[in-house]
Amino acid sequence: MIEARGLTRRYGDFTAVRDVSFSVADGEILGILGPNGAGKTTTIRMITGFLPPSEGRVTINGRDLFEDPVEARRMLGYLPENVALYSEMRVDEYLAFRAQLAAMKKAEQRPAIDRAVSACLLGGVRHQIISTLSKGYRQRVGLAAAILHGPRVLVLDEPTVGLDPNQIIAIRELIRDLGRERTLILSTHILPEVEQLCDRVLIIDRGRLIAEGTPKELEERSRGRSHLTVTFRGGSGDALLEGLAALPGVAQVAALEDAGRYRLDVEPDRDAREAVFRLAVDSGLVLLELAEKKVSLEDVFVRLTQDPAAGASFAPAAVSAEPVTAEVEA
Amino acid sequence: MTSFMAVVQRELRAYFVSPLAWVILTFFLFGQGLVFVTIVGYLNDPRQVAGATPFDYFFNSFFFWLTLLFITPVITMRLIAEERRSGTLESLMTAPITEFQVVFGKYLAACTFYAFLWLPTALYPLMLSRHSTIDWGPIAAGYLGVFCVGCMFLAIGLFGSSFTKNQIVAAVSTFFILIALFLVPWLGSLLSNQVLVDALGYINLIDHVEEFGKGIVDSRRLVYYLSTSAFFLFLTTRALAAKKWR
Repeated sequence: MIEARGLTRRYGDFTAVRDVSFSVADGEILGILGPNGAGKTTTIRMITGFLPPSEGRVTINGRDLFEDPVEARRMLGYLPENVALYSEMRVDEYLAFRAQLAAMKKAEQRPAIDRAVSACLLGGVRHQIISTLSKGYRQRVGLAAAILHGPRVLVLDEPTVGLDPNQIIAIRELIRDLGRERTLILSTHILPEVEQLCDRVLIIDRGRLIAEGTPKELEERSRGRSHLTVTFRGGSGDALLEGLAALPGVAQVAALEDAGRYRLDVEPDRDAREAVFRLAVDSGLVLLELAEKKVSLEDVFVRLTQDPAAGASFAPAAVSAEPVTAEVEA
Repeated sequence: MTSFMAVVQRELRAYFVSPLAWVILTFFLFGQGLVFVTIVGYLNDPRQVAGATPFDYFFNSFFFWLTLLFITPVITMRLIAEERRSGTLESLMTAPITEFQVVFGKYLAACTFYAFLWLPTALYPLMLSRHSTIDWGPIAAGYLGVFCVGCMFLAIGLFGSSFTKNQIVAAVSTFFILIALFLVPWLGSLLSNQVLVDALGYINLIDHVEEFGKGIVDSRRLVYYLSTSAFFLFLTTRALAAKKWR
């Protein structure tokens, strides 16, 4: 549905995005994840046609975004990061303006506006002037405007930023609904959002694509798939450390600050809990704590974006460290 | 076409819901009212030659140029700069519409608003025609000149608005371009080089408007306004297409 090839954007000497390639299949929900300032918005602006890339090209359903811009944009709905609306207009006036701007037929405009208003739960504020709306409502007006002309691709740049928790839940539900029948690209720096909503994730850092996969794949590709925190009463010393390291399935052991407390990295698809219990029994120690924690996307994200070298150790398949390009099959 | 009309309608609406439009209109009508009073005084003065055309004064007075040079940058300053500042440009330019449709839609709205400013002044000759004989030819030509020069100024103003987020910067830079366009040919007449004097004389707006006020419609003038407007609209389209601004 969307093909981005070798996207690079430079501002003078500064390269905001460097050689980013990816493709999004029809009906897929793709998350673009990255810390603030990583190049997410620049990437989004290039795939929506607002910003011409310095190098590279984008096609939407086979149409080049910069050679055939009007037809390509017709298939695209876009909610920018800063949802800017004409604040002097009323909600339904604004939506009518957007419908006309998308060159919809007169007879189709009214029903399309009604559909968008009910999809985005705007019924109660339809006649209100936009400047009087709360941030959450404005976000929904922006979303309604983006889906109005029935685009097959919807691009949302940080749709939940600046909303209160209730509004965030409401917008996420709305996004999930909208993603059922459309291709959706979502940029965010909020990890649970990606875990809840996305089929596939791109991680961008310092303008480069550093990882790509389903949220689950990314988690599983992490070095230890899960880790255990254990605490023994009266247990310490090198003998115990070695005993723990020798247990089947344990990849690495680290002593934590509190006496008798250890952190065990467990190999993928292994469970070392029973072995830890047996070790405690055999060496006559009292086991005070035994907690398993699955590696979350957050761990992956932090490791990837804070340690540039981590990318290398990270990935066999779609991720390589130098040069960083992730080629993806459509 | 629908998308283009959407832009025109939205801009026109934006003019009339903003207080600025009514401030401009008030200032403008006050200025033109003063000119009218002067004309009436002139007509009532028995010492004046019969058959004089006081209406060229209407189109070429100090007030005329003052309002034109000040008002056109104020009409155009918000057109693109405001959308850049608020960020609405992003959703506008990612809609299925070309840069030229956006630029020309905004331009047409500005020209319509400008014509609307002049509309009430048509009452003055109408009122006078009840008490005196009026030569309508020069008045029609005068209005044509006023409209054409104004539209050229608006095209320059739209360009001034296209490269900044700041409306004041847009208005001031437009004002400087207009002043240059207005003053340079006038100062040029002081030069000794006859070729330069002739060349600059060709674009001397004061002479142009004076001719229009006398009922002379010279197609060379119209070509000059049209080509200058087209040139600045083209520059504006390029400025929008470049979109290097964040």
